[in-house]
Amino acid sequence: MSVKSEYHIKVEGFEGPMDLLLHLIQRLEIDIHDIPVAEITDQYMEYIHTMNELELDIASEYLVMAATLLAMKSSTLLPEEPVDPEELESEEDPREELMERLKEYRKFKYAAGQLKDREAEDNEVYSRPPVSIEEGAGDDQQATVFDMIEALQRMFNKTGSPSPEVETGVKRDEMPIKRTMDHILQKIQQSPSGITFEKLFSARTRTEMVNTFLALLELVKDKQVLCRQDEHFEDLYIFKQGDNHGRE
Amino acid sequence: MGESKLAILEGLLFAAGEEGMHKKQLSEILEIRENEVEELLEDWKEELQNPGRGIRLMESRGTYSLTTKPEYAAVYKRWGYKKNHTRLSQASLESLAIIAYRQPITRVEVDYIRGVKSDQALQTLAERQLVEEAGRKETVGRPILYRTTEHFLTYFGLQSLEDLPELKEAFQEDYSAAENFFDSLEEG
Repeated sequence: MSVKSEYHIKVEGFEGPMDLLLHLIQRLEIDIHDIPVAEITDQYMEYIHTMNELELDIASEYLVMAATLLAMKSSTLLPEEPVDPEELESEEDPREELMERLKEYRKFKYAAGQLKDREAEDNEVYSRPPVSIEEGAGDDQQATVFDMIEALQRMFNKTGSPSPEVETGVKRDEMPIKRTMDHILQKIQQSPSGITFEKLFSARTRTEMVNTFLALLELVKDKQVLCRQDEHFEDLYIFKQGDNHGRE
Repeated sequence: MGESKLAILEGLLFAAGEEGMHKKQLSEILEIRENEVEELLEDWKEELQNPGRGIRLMESRGTYSLTTKPEYAAVYKRWGYKKNHTRLSQASLESLAIIAYRQPITRVEVDYIRGVKSDQALQTLAERQLVEEAGRKETVGRPILYRTTEHFLTYFGLQSLEDLPELKEAFQEDYSAAENFFDSLEEG
């Protein structure tokens, strides 16, 4: 693999069969509109043979072009039959297509050279990231842990503290935080415009509330969700992180 | 109150930075028609061309942004803002030129013009964010279409795609590298 690519680099003087042909045309001072097929084919084959003798890795594209040229050469060597002029007109000069392709390639080769010059001249221009104008938008508006605790308190004020009597006995790990996190994410997924803090605390047992609260903190920390409060003492909204809500 | 649309425009584009603003957006904010925005921008562009000015207006698919001027690239680099890039290979340059002038275009079409495979070159160009995918061509196999990016403009210091030099026929070839290669073969 490495040996192969090493050989390949050596013939990088040419970018491919088209490039080699253009080179031959220029060296032989041939008019691109009137290519002597026999001559150009011989010259082309000579290069291929040289590469071959040196056991260079000849890209298959070169061989395809070689075959095309040889086919063209052999057709020109065939004795020309007298054909009626109408038929002659419809028959296309096989050189035509090659000429068009060469001319097309030459244009882009030139354009590539111009780009190369521009690159070498060091013309790069610079800009910078946009400024964030919206005051209080984005990160600034993110609710803090204290906002979240306040929200919890407000909820208790409205609905009363969680009833401890519901809890009986020891229920260890009944709701592992990981599961609650998934649960919250699921709920948020269903409401892309955000979900209120209160809606997340459906059940009223203390364990569950603590669990939900911790899961929420964990999600905020992981940057999976975003907790926002537009005004102080207003409802807290939980969003899926990465969604575009109210920004721009 | 003499509210200057141009002043607002200038501030907007300054704040928008590299993201720039589309002329549609600008027309909404300034509450003027899009062609009026274009006129304003055109005048301003001319004004900025004054050698005494240090910023330039760039346009990419209807989005305008402010950049530094290409003639001072070396100065900004020296200041340490950006480091030098590795120069593009001939294969990459050819592929890039083809994409720039014929966009959107598929890889197979680029291959055909160059007469060789260009997948490696395209990969490099995509990695360097000079080209990007531009949907699919509605033919057999729905091949990926490529186009140049905004970074292509900034990298070469072009003001817009129209700023690309005209695709010309005439050119002077430089085959010295290839000649040397074959000369050295004959000698050996």
